[in-house]
Amino acid sequence: MSTFSALIKREVLDSKNGYIYVPLILMGITLFLVTLSSLGIGKTIYLNGMEADNIHSLADLMERARAEDPSRMSAGITLLYWASTSLTWIAFPFVIFFSLLGALYEERRDRSILFWKSMPVSDWQEVLAKFATPLLVAPLTFLAVVIVSQLFLALLFSLIMVFQGGAILPLWPVSLLFTSWLTFIVHYLLWLVWALPVLAWLLFVSSFANRMPFLWAILFPVVLIVVEGMFMGTHHVGNWITLHLGAWQSSAFEQIGGNINGPNDALKIILGGVQLEGFTYTISSVQFWIGLAVTAAFLFGAVQMRKRAL
Amino acid sequence: MTQTARDTTVIKARNISKSFGKFQALKGVSFDIPLGRIVGLIGANGAGKTTLLNAILGLSSYQGRLSVLGLDPSRQRSTLMRDVSFISDVATLPKWMKVSEVLDYVASVHPKFNRDKAMDFLSRTKVPLARKVRALSKGMIVQVHLAVIMSIEAKLLVLDEPTLGLDILFRKQFYQSLLEEYFDEERTILITTHQVEEIENILTDVMFIRDGKLQLQASMDDLSKQFVEVIVTAGKEDKAKALGPISTDTIFGKTRCVYKDKDHETLAELGETRRLGLADIFVATMTGEE
Repeated sequence: MSTFSALIKREVLDSKNGYIYVPLILMGITLFLVTLSSLGIGKTIYLNGMEADNIHSLADLMERARAEDPSRMSAGITLLYWASTSLTWIAFPFVIFFSLLGALYEERRDRSILFWKSMPVSDWQEVLAKFATPLLVAPLTFLAVVIVSQLFLALLFSLIMVFQGGAILPLWPVSLLFTSWLTFIVHYLLWLVWALPVLAWLLFVSSFANRMPFLWAILFPVVLIVVEGMFMGTHHVGNWITLHLGAWQSSAFEQIGGNINGPNDALKIILGGVQLEGFTYTISSVQFWIGLAVTAAFLFGAVQMRKRAL
Repeated sequence: MTQTARDTTVIKARNISKSFGKFQALKGVSFDIPLGRIVGLIGANGAGKTTLLNAILGLSSYQGRLSVLGLDPSRQRSTLMRDVSFISDVATLPKWMKVSEVLDYVASVHPKFNRDKAMDFLSRTKVPLARKVRALSKGMIVQVHLAVIMSIEAKLLVLDEPTLGLDILFRKQFYQSLLEEYFDEERTILITTHQVEEIENILTDVMFIRDGKLQLQASMDDLSKQFVEVIVTAGKEDKAKALGPISTDTIFGKTRCVYKDKDHETLAELGETRRLGLADIFVATMTGEE
């Protein structure tokens, strides 16, 4: 096995609570709640006047939706699955945040760095592995868990449908679901390359902070923002951070908003065209390239700190 | 000829210095360590032992010229680690890993690690492979670490207090297997410990370090010829003192004198001669001359 994949494997082992157990637990909670509430439709739970419309079961609900507009069914169902499993994603930013902050901090705190350094592995490889693992492995494990929960939901609804006597096929918008998973990955990667400088800052903090990397990571930029605001009356630092954490999308996708009408439009926007536009916007944006340079600087700093760390 | 001469020097240090702020931990240390030796680096706490070892292992920066196996450790640590293994502190194994995962990891990143050998070492202990390092006793953690280190085909092995926290039985066992199963003329071992008595029988060379300076480097053979202890026969005390002992004290009513570089036959006339233990040589060297 190559050294780098061994490092990735080690990082995953180290953080398997965050990468594997956390999404699994959230999936458990999601499935429990959805199961409870879907069993209860029309009996114990009254959703937005559904009862008034004479909906007594999931089958009624589906029938009504199809009667309303059959062309929207697949898109609506796909969105429903994503919405139902959104709880899992709540933990995702926290997992990335704390993985990066602990990556080069914990090994110094527990002195295991002396063991890692006794191996023929360069500091560059270590730092890159510790940067890449949370950013590339965590989204995949989270997505895998979400896919499993979405399939479970489809199965659950199908079962209910069997008992309530409705059509099962509309519950399986397979190709749309599949597209949505792929699109998620592409969109995530797009978000990731923009967020790299902010994420690299976290890893850099983890390489030098002797105590409380959490405070360093948060307080330092906050102080910068406040000082800049007080003495210069500008907001460059704050804007820069929010730009890289997602505000770039408002420029990238500015032509898109406005005419979203129903789940078909919403899904079309999420699935089609957006990524391409985002990509072309990204590589032609000066801000993006500056961000990459900042990323490289932080990573270089982290490597230098690790070389000196004992 | 020059080729072989260069190849047999494992560590070449010239004027190595290191400061932490105003504190100068190393003050221009120079030495050579050839292949096939077991060298004890001996000094009091804070003498600079660990600072020197860290420089040799590429763990910290330094001033001066240092070449380990022909490499510059401060710039080529990862390459160097293919042929150097070390234990630099107790309990540095990652606590969240299982013992078997530690072995897997080392096997996947270290080309010269022999997993079967490590398993063989561990099979002689009571260490459970499925247990996390965190759940092991202090002694067991050291056993795992030593098993890993001894299973790496390194040219240079550096041990900084390797047996701290282990019971006497295991310590004896460890040094025995270090000699019998690990050491050969193609390898060099550099070792520091406070239990000098336990290693003095396996050492071929010693280096004494004090206040960041190298006080003495010599082979064990030379040292035991150099330093002689005499239990002076009653009535010959004046003669003994006239010969200039480096230390004198009284034990059980008899005068004991330690001599350095004196003719053995002359000393034999004074009383019963003995070779001096390493700990005593250390004390004599460190207190005798200044």
